[in-house]
Amino acid sequence: MNEGFLKRYSFNIAANDFMSAGKGSSSIKNILKSMGIDATVIRKIAIVSYEAEMNIVIHSLGGELHCDLYDNKIIILSEDAGPGIEDLNLALTEGYSTAPESIRELGFGAGMGLPNMMKYSDDFKITTGRDGTVIKITFLM
Amino acid sequence: MNFSIMFDKEKCKGCTNCMKRCPTQAIRLIDGKAFINNLKCIHCGECIKVCPYNAYTPESIEWYEEMHFSSYKYKIAVLSTPLYGQFPKGTDICKVQNAVLKLGFDYVYDASWAAEMVSRAIKKKINEEKNIRPFISTNCPAAVRLIKNRYPSLMDNLILLKEPMVIAAMTAKERAKAKFNYKDEEIGVFYISPCPAKLLAVTDPVGDYVPYVDWVIPLNTIYGQIYKEIIKGDDKLCLYPSLNGLKWAVSGGQSESADLTNYIAVNGMENIIQILDEIENGNLSNVDFVETLACVQGCVGGTFNVINPFIAQSNINYVLSNTKDSELNEELEEFEGMYDEGIFKFKLNPDENPGKFSMKEAIIKREKIKEIYDVLPGLDCGSCGAPTCYAHAEDVYNNDSALYECVVLRASKKE
Repeated sequence: MNEGFLKRYSFNIAANDFMSAGKGSSSIKNILKSMGIDATVIRKIAIVSYEAEMNIVIHSLGGELHCDLYDNKIIILSEDAGPGIEDLNLALTEGYSTAPESIRELGFGAGMGLPNMMKYSDDFKITTGRDGTVIKITFLM
Repeated sequence: MNFSIMFDKEKCKGCTNCMKRCPTQAIRLIDGKAFINNLKCIHCGECIKVCPYNAYTPESIEWYEEMHFSSYKYKIAVLSTPLYGQFPKGTDICKVQNAVLKLGFDYVYDASWAAEMVSRAIKKKINEEKNIRPFISTNCPAAVRLIKNRYPSLMDNLILLKEPMVIAAMTAKERAKAKFNYKDEEIGVFYISPCPAKLLAVTDPVGDYVPYVDWVIPLNTIYGQIYKEIIKGDDKLCLYPSLNGLKWAVSGGQSESADLTNYIAVNGMENIIQILDEIENGNLSNVDFVETLACVQGCVGGTFNVINPFIAQSNINYVLSNTKDSELNEELEEFEGMYDEGIFKFKLNPDENPGKFSMKEAIIKREKIKEIYDVLPGLDCGSCGAPTCYAHAEDVYNNDSALYECVVLRASKKE
């Protein structure tokens, strides 16, 4: 299962903290850049991890963002403490957003989050329930 | 060839100002004196601007000799768009052109016409290629190199249109060739530059194009001579500029003159870095065009300019509202044909092969640097000769510096 696993970098993401929002994904991006990872892969990971982080900030009670490095792949793992996505199929539809109006006015939550993540990744797995949502996004090297 | 930035070791006090300001961390202090790594330098000019002791100065003796003693039969000066903002408000632009001519040129060409053409090309390309958003301007060579150096994944967003300097030089040279039957090497094109990055654009272009400019002259090195001629006030010759193209002198001018509505104009290195981060996060894919200019307020804030950027901007605005808009220039009529021929577009030069990547080795390297970093105090004071503690850790790992160059560590060791 964990064949080829080498290293994990983890970041705590606080709910509703818009001042720090984006710092976790930004750190991931900078780590990958300093390691010399291919620019095209970094671009995809930057977009996906930023979306994942913003989802935790906007929709959840807080959570963690992990970046797992393997021999030949990178996995972004987003785990939050709930309350879960009510209608997953709808959330996977482009253009749909559950973000409240007040947050959309700030320019967040255009409703492209999950479909965008799927589009940029090589593999996308999501499980959701009242206790939280786990998203596992894989990028092959 | 051309000018170079001369560094006066005697003047340098090792104050760390330039090192800390450098956006690509290309500067280190070695034995208390600044040293620039040319492989990392993007010619943005921040070090020149920030140095309190004027240790960096442009030297351009060679072009001067080239102009007066060379075998060029025809010498063309290309005027950059911010030039008219460099003289007292209300200075007649015809006098500026004549003053430059009197320095020994045969012809003066105003880059604003080329700027207007590139604006049209920007608009066309944005309308034609809707799959790339946002497009990033390729006018500022320092910004383009910042992207290459720190945001390589955004190279795909560059609009890849030649800068007005190149189009202006090409147009002026081709015209002289046709008119006087000169050969290429008999015509010298001199660009009067507001910034050091234009030199890099000429000597080491990022794309597969001929820059057409033979010499780049830093404006501040000939400012006094131009000024004296302006005071004499001879205005025989006058070529009206494109007012639309002149807007390129100021941040936002590229987009305005291309008649865009959905754009971001960002200037100043720190601001550019923030916007590039946003683009990398996928946040600005609803914006058509991003103008990134390394200098504050855009090219009016260029390192080789003499006047304060905000005053220069006001001067340019004065020219824009007090100059008669001229008839369409002949080049503009040829725009469509030139665009279809592909004259404005260019392709990026291929990167050197980075070699085989090993995740395992990359992690080991990172962890070793992290180990060194964790020992350091995290003050980013610069006393070791590196701009940040992390940069010092990297230097130690690469054997370019020693751990105990850190003054804080050295002091605690003695205790």
